[in-house]
Amino acid sequence: MARKNELIKGSIDYLLLCVIAQQPMYGYQIIKELESRSQGYFKFKEGTLYPALHRLEKSGLTLGEWQTLPNGRQRRYYHITEKGLNILVARRGQWLEFITAMNLIIQPVDR
Amino acid sequence: MLTVLSNYLESIRDNLRLDQSSEKAVIQELETHIEDEVEELRESGLSEEEAADTCLTLLGSAKMVARQIYEAHSQGSWTQALLAATPHILFGLLFALNWWQGVGWLLGMLALILIMAVYGWWRGKPAWLFPWLGYSLLPVVAAALLLLYLPEGWSWVAILVYLPLAFWLLYAITVQTIKRDWLYTSLMLLPLPTIFGWFVAIEPVNQLPEHWLQRMQDFAPWIGLTFLALGVTVATFIRARKRWLRMSVLVVSGLITLTMVAYYAEGKLSIPAFLILMVVMLLVLLSPALVERTLKHSG
Repeated sequence: MARKNELIKGSIDYLLLCVIAQQPMYGYQIIKELESRSQGYFKFKEGTLYPALHRLEKSGLTLGEWQTLPNGRQRRYYHITEKGLNILVARRGQWLEFITAMNLIIQPVDR
Repeated sequence: MLTVLSNYLESIRDNLRLDQSSEKAVIQELETHIEDEVEELRESGLSEEEAADTCLTLLGSAKMVARQIYEAHSQGSWTQALLAATPHILFGLLFALNWWQGVGWLLGMLALILIMAVYGWWRGKPAWLFPWLGYSLLPVVAAALLLLYLPEGWSWVAILVYLPLAFWLLYAITVQTIKRDWLYTSLMLLPLPTIFGWFVAIEPVNQLPEHWLQRMQDFAPWIGLTFLALGVTVATFIRARKRWLRMSVLVVSGLITLTMVAYYAEGKLSIPAFLILMVVMLLVLLSPALVERTLKHSG
């Protein structure tokens, strides 16, 4: 379990960029989206989401904007920036190469 | 909202140590998250208390969340680091280039420091303000030292009138900065032990002005160097994310600059005097943490 958490922690910035790149989202929505798209695999302490979101925003990879809903409630939606998109494209290539290499090693060899 | 949830948000607020507008935005964002989550959990059949407990478990420790959010926000830009280091660099140059004897330079620098201190305070106390604020208090301390040179009799009147006013002003500003973050108070007070160290080394008390002016002239390049070192410290502080690292930077730089004072003062600082200065330095840099704790407990 601890190892799984470490893996998620190491890739959280990339996961967030992937989800936000599809459409602007707010914190709670991002958690639900990650959980549903990974079929429940990506479940983590929700409190760690906001430091990661704020870190991405400080680095200029995302942009948070407050929106007021018809019921008066305010939500902070995160958009991906041009810089964030560029990083995402670069990291996506690296991840795919990594996953392909990992699969080649992990799969049992037919002898 | 249930008390347990309000307490959780309050605990995060207490540990965030961000400027007011960022703090408000963070709390509002977390509050909306909690409302969404509790609403969904209640729709799934949980009671209000159960929903609140589950929500807090999913969020994790308030202190950890606050610390991580602080680290996401704490690192200042290089511009802010330079801005924060500027008063130390100017003060260092004042001595390194022997400008300290020119009244025009002194007045110009004093005016700049006061303008920056007022501007920073008005802009919501950003991190770069605190070194400027520290130097803006120097004239208050310097005026108190000048009281020593008043004719006998007058000095008592001046001390009775001036010192309570000066202490009140220093106390009021210190408390206000501690409310923002005690580490910034330490950042504000950082040059004090070094100034005090040079003051002891120059021995101005009971000496003719010619004597201590000559000593200041002799030490000027080294005085300049110690303040340039403080400039580097402050820039490092602003760029650091973690609180323990920021605290360590202040303490280590205090030790280094005081050692420089002792070394360049050519034996004028005895070992006991040096050790006393070290204790004063640690008290100055770490006592704001104790004051903050006291202020919190007193409500």
